[in-house]
Formats: sequence, C-alpha cells, structure tokens
Amino acid sequence: MFEEASEVLENMLKWSLPLSLVLFLVLLRAEAAHEFSVYRMQQYDLQGQTYGSRNAILNTEARTVEAEVLSRRCVMMRLADFSYEKYQKALQQSAGAVVIILPQNMSTMPQDIVQQFMELEPELLATETIVPVYFALEDEELLSIYTQTQISSSSQGSSSAAEVLLHTATANGFQMVTSGAQSKAVSDWAITSLEGRLTGAGEDLPTIVLVAHYDSFGVAPWLSYGADSNGSGVAILLELARLFSRLYSYKRSHAGRYNLLFFLSGGGKFNYQGTKRWLEDNLDHTDSSLLQDNVAFVLCLDTLGNSDNLYLHVSKPPKEGSPQHILLKELETVVAHQHPELKFSMVHKKINLADDTLAWEHERFGIRRLPAFTLSHLESHRSPARHSIMDKRPHVDLTKLSRNTKVIAETLARVIYNLTEKGVSGDLEIFTEQMQVQEDQLASLLDWLTAQPRAAQLLDKDSSIVHTLEYYLNHYLKDVKRHLVRADKRDPEFVFYDQLKQTMNAYRVKPAIFDLLLAFCIASYLGVLYLAIQNFGLLYSFLRRVTSPRVKQH
Amino acid sequence: MTLFHFGNCVSLAYFPYFITYKCSGLSEYNAFWRCVQAGATYLFVQLCKMLFLATFFPTWEGAVGVYDFVGEFMKATVDLADLLGLHLVMSRNAGKGEYKIMVAAMGWATAELIMSRCIPFWVGARGIEFDWKYIQMSFDSNISLVHYIAMAAVVWMFTRYDLPKSFRLPVTILLGLCVYKGFLMELFVHVFLLGSWTALLVKAVLTGAISLCSLFLFVTLVHSN
Repeated sequence: MFEEASEVLENMLKWSLPLSLVLFLVLLRAEAAHEFSVYRMQQYDLQGQTYGSRNAILNTEARTVEAEVLSRRCVMMRLADFSYEKYQKALQQSAGAVVIILPQNMSTMPQDIVQQFMELEPELLATETIVPVYFALEDEELLSIYTQTQISSSSQGSSSAAEVLLHTATANGFQMVTSGAQSKAVSDWAITSLEGRLTGAGEDLPTIVLVAHYDSFGVAPWLSYGADSNGSGVAILLELARLFSRLYSYKRSHAGRYNLLFFLSGGGKFNYQGTKRWLEDNLDHTDSSLLQDNVAFVLCLDTLGNSDNLYLHVSKPPKEGSPQHILLKELETVVAHQHPELKFSMVHKKINLADDTLAWEHERFGIRRLPAFTLSHLESHRSPARHSIMDKRPHVDLTKLSRNTKVIAETLARVIYNLTEKGVSGDLEIFTEQMQVQEDQLASLLDWLTAQPRAAQLLDKDSSIVHTLEYYLNHYLKDVKRHLVRADKRDPEFVFYDQLKQTMNAYRVKPAIFDLLLAFCIASYLGVLYLAIQNFGLLYSFLRRVTSPRVKQH
Repeated sequence: MTLFHFGNCVSLAYFPYFITYKCSGLSEYNAFWRCVQAGATYLFVQLCKMLFLATFFPTWEGAVGVYDFVGEFMKATVDLADLLGLHLVMSRNAGKGEYKIMVAAMGWATAELIMSRCIPFWVGARGIEFDWKYIQMSFDSNISLVHYIAMAAVVWMFTRYDLPKSFRLPVTILLGLCVYKGFLMELFVHVFLLGSWTALLVKAVLTGAISLCSLFLFVTLVHSN
C-alpha cells in the first residue's frame, strides 16, 4: 500500500504544483471596495510650537457624526455638513480619525459654506491633535460609501434587537485603512529662494528690492494651490522682471538710476524663513552686497489678484523727502490719474515682536532697518484668504491682476526715472503697445502656478517649480542665484513632517455577529444534508418501486 | 472574525464531501487510496485540457460585451476529456457498479474542491473585505459533488454492454447535458442577465434534474436484470 501511496503522492505533486502556482499568482492581490487618495492635514513645528495633526496611520471602522459612539472610529464628514462643533465633538470622543470629503469642483459649493470653511482653517490647525485628519476629494464611490455609512450610523441608536439582527445581515460596514507608515520629521529639508538683478546705469546707485514669496499654505499641504496668495504676487513679479529688463536694455531709455533686485522667497508662509536667512547672510556674513549699500526701499507683493482695493502696508509712516515717500506719492498719482476705480490707502501697523509670527513680509526687512512696504488688496494679514485651500484659480480675476501689475509698473518707472520732478503728468502711460503688460503671459503663469500644490513641504530644491522659476528669471535677469535655508540642527526654526499624501482603502466588512449567524445557518444546513444522505436509501427504494412494476409488465 | 468566515466557507464546502464519504460506506472498502488515485487522474486530465486549449484555441479578440458562443461551445467540447478520465478511473477499479461510481466521483470532486477552492478561500475569505461570493463558491462545490456523481453514473451506464436499446438515447442526452452544463449556465447568465444567487439556484435545479434522471435510469438498469 505504501508504494502505491508514494506513487500516488508523487504524481499528485508533479501535476498540482504548476496549477497551484498559477492560481496563487492570480489571486495574491487583495481587493478593496474602494481605493482613493487622501491628503493629510498640515503637521509642522514653527519656532518650537507644534501645529496640526500628529498622526498618520489609521485602521478603523467608518462612522458619520450622527452615530452615538465615535471613539476609535473614523469619522467621515462632508464639506456641506461640516461645522466646528461637530469636529470638536469627534475629537472629544477620541475618534480614531477624521476624514473630510471635499467636492471635486469647489465652485459648486455655495459661497457662505466656502467662506465659513476658510475661516475655520486656522482654528483647525491651531488645535494640536493626535488624531489623523485627512481630506479626500469626492467621487461617486466615496459618496455611496458615505451615504451607506450615514444610514447605518443614524439607525444605530434606536432599534430593537430583532431589527439589529436583520440589519447585520444586510448592512455594509466599511473599514478604512491607510497604507503608509507613521509620520516622522523630515531631516535636512532645504527651502530655496531665488534672486536676480538688473543693474542700473552708473556707479553706486541705490537699489530697489522687489520681493514675493512663492509658496502657498492651506489646511492640507497637497491641496494648497495658493492662486491669489501668493500666485498673483509671483506672477506680477515675473511680469515686472520681464518689463523692466526690456526697459533697461531698450536703447532709447537706457537703464534707470536704480539697481533692481528681484527676490522670490521660499517658506514665506512659515514666518518668512527664506527672507530671514537671506537677510542674515547678506547683511551679516557677506562683505559687499546690494543690500548693504544704499537701499531705496523694499516692495513686497502679497495677494494682488482680485478686488478694487489696494493697500500699502507700512510699519513706519515714510518720512517726507525719503524714497519711500516718493513711492507713496507716485502710487497715489498713478491711481488717481490712470485708475480712478481703484481705492488706494496706506495702512500703518507697528511690528509686534511678541506675536508668534510676523504679519507681512516687509516686517522682516523692517527688523533689519531696511525701509519696506507690502502691497496687497487685503486689509488685514489675518484675512483667511491668505491660508486657505479654497484659494484656487477662480479666485484670481485676470483683468484686475493685470491692472494691478500696470499700476505697480507705472509707479516704479516714475520713481526710477524721476518723472514727477521732470514734470511729466500723471496721465502719461509708459507701459503701452510694445511694452504693455501682457495678460496672456500673466494668465499662463498663473495657470502653471496653480496646476500643482506649492506648499513649502513639497518644494524641494530639485522640484520642477523651483527649476522653472530659476529658468524664467535667468531669461530676463542677471546674476540669478539660489539661496538655501536649512533648519538649524539643535534649535530648528521649522520642522516639516512627511506622509502628507496617502492611499486609503475602504473595505466592506460585516460585523462579528454576522459570522456567528452564518455559522449557525451553515450548521443547520449541514444537519439537514446529513439527514438527507442518511435517508438516501428511501429515495432509492422509492425509485425502485416506481420502475419495477413497469419491468414486471414487460 | 475573518478567520471565522474562512472556517465557515471551508466547512460549508467540505463537510458534505465528508458526510457523503462516511455514509456511502466507502470507508468500509478501504477506498481512500483509490479516491486519491482518481484525484490524481483528475489533475492529469485538467493539465492535458489546459495544454490543448492553450495550443489550439486563439484568445477572443472581439468586443468586450459580446459573448463568443461558438468559441465557448468549442471550449466546452474539450470537456469531453473529463468523461474519458472518469471512464479510465472506473475501468481500473474492480467491483460493483455503485462502488466504482462513488470512488471515481468522490476522488474527482474532492480533487476539484482542493485545487480550485482552497486558494481563493485562503486568500480571499480570510481578508478584511467581505464578499458573498465565497459562500456562493461553497454552495457551488456542493452542487459539483452531485454533478460528478451523476456524471460518473452516466458514463458507467454508457459503457455497459447490457444497456437496453431504449436507454441509449436518454443516456447520450444526459451525457451531453453533463458536459455542456457549464456552457448552458453561462448562456443563461448572459441571455437572462441573472444575478449571482439566481444563477446558483438555476445551476442547482439543473444539476438536480440531471442527477434525478440519471438515478432513475441507473435504478432501472440495475434492477431490470
């Protein structure tokens, strides 16, 4: 018998191995009900203070806010139903995670909900939480998962035992699982800034510095497109670089009596880290730099893509006769004569060093005693439009952006070429015809800038955005240089964390009691089957009796 | 409790086989190794079928939704090899008709159960995701057991020398139905767009009908002498 058995086994192994291998390979991939990308809430440390969500992994059952028990569950909320109280409620009940579902197209949402969410974003970040908070873009499958979860969550509280039993057989629970690892600090992140210059005609000329920070900020880094803040500022800066480089190389006008220094700073939304280090390096560690010599003024561009207001933010009102005062006067002249629909005013705010973060970028320069302004259409630095994920391309009005560009360009030209002193009237427009502000250029720049998220955590020194900006500046300016900022090892000013984008899987699951129910049903089925097989003889004899009379008749 | 679910599916699939083996009295005849031999023959026949299909049948390159009736029909014809395999197993076993049929069918069906169900259960039913298809697969394996018993009985009857003339036709028809049952099932699903549970029910009814007819013919044949 054993020889037979061994022969049999040998045969079996020979043929079964290829079959089982094939089956194994085909079926090894696990299947999920739905797989989708989720974007985590910000997590960063700034000057020792921690902000945002601390955790990244989750493997919990889904519920909506209506459910009674939220602890250790993943709470799903839609933007339309989102409110701060619900969010607080979820956190207080020690929920396992929060997933906020945003519509694919923000413009379908009513304005008041969008506005309300924009105002809530800084509050969401301010409360440091260990609960992972994710944002997902809605699609059909996710919406159906949400509605199913909502139905089962809201019916949990009030139902009898029989209903619950029936419910378990038909309902679908969902288990949300992320595939990544726990979030940890990114070491040695380099924030890149770019500078370039246009040299004026002559020796020992004063310098005008034009600054704009190119990164964006929102409650989720991968969803911060920052169209108005500060995509508009970058677009204006690049367009000014193009116009003034033409003006400076134009034979008939010659270069002006000012040097122009253009600076695209990184880490702007994190308390202007790029600017801060650039100033330190240029003023403390270098022997000679344009910043050390005569600086006429620094003009920072921040959020200029919309509205008919224009504010010039200063930390010290400019003194009479100083270059800053000239700029102020020229701005007023240009606005009054050429764009009367624009409402321009100066806003004076003292630098408050006791605050966690500085208000505007010009304050960095003000601290180093360089005269500076910020130009913006926002009146207050606390405006929610500066830190929102809702700030997308539709937030920028192209005509207003190009009008603002023109105003700034005209003003700067009047200052550089001293036009008011020479008696040139305020109505004369310099940037017309061949030299005009090109709206198409602005539009394409803005479209490119808002095509991908520009959060500081995502823009490494090798990122394509930095390379493209450098290439663009190189096209029009001279001496384009990169400037890197790395956080100090022992006492870091800023710390970024990773795992900001994950793939979440939603698996359809049944509750535990369902398995027991099924086992019970299977046991009873098997019992019936056993009885049937035991009594198979009855069927056999019945058939025999049916057939035999016929045979007998033959 | 997904391991529990795996246990549920495996018990639902395997226990009927176990019960059948015990209650049909095969254990008294030391039929275990013979069943294993039948299983080995099953594997060999499946391999040959796969090679044949892969070599001679081109892949279907038509539209996605259209069902290739002729192609699938030809593929189902290759399942005639199953009949040959069963015949081979039965001819190597000496003994009464019922013994031969049961041994062949048990071994064949168990081999199919192990080969085609174990891995889906292990990988799928044990996962987090729940799907009704694993329970459906278990029911399907139960139905397959009945189907193979009926098929073995029909093959045995077909090869008997003392089969009456009047039985030739019904037996041949049943044989054809057995072979093309899979094809018929797919046809039904496509034409009537049946849901998975309905398809299972139809399959059970069809197999039940075939097995009842074959049982009737078997009883008549055996007890007409």
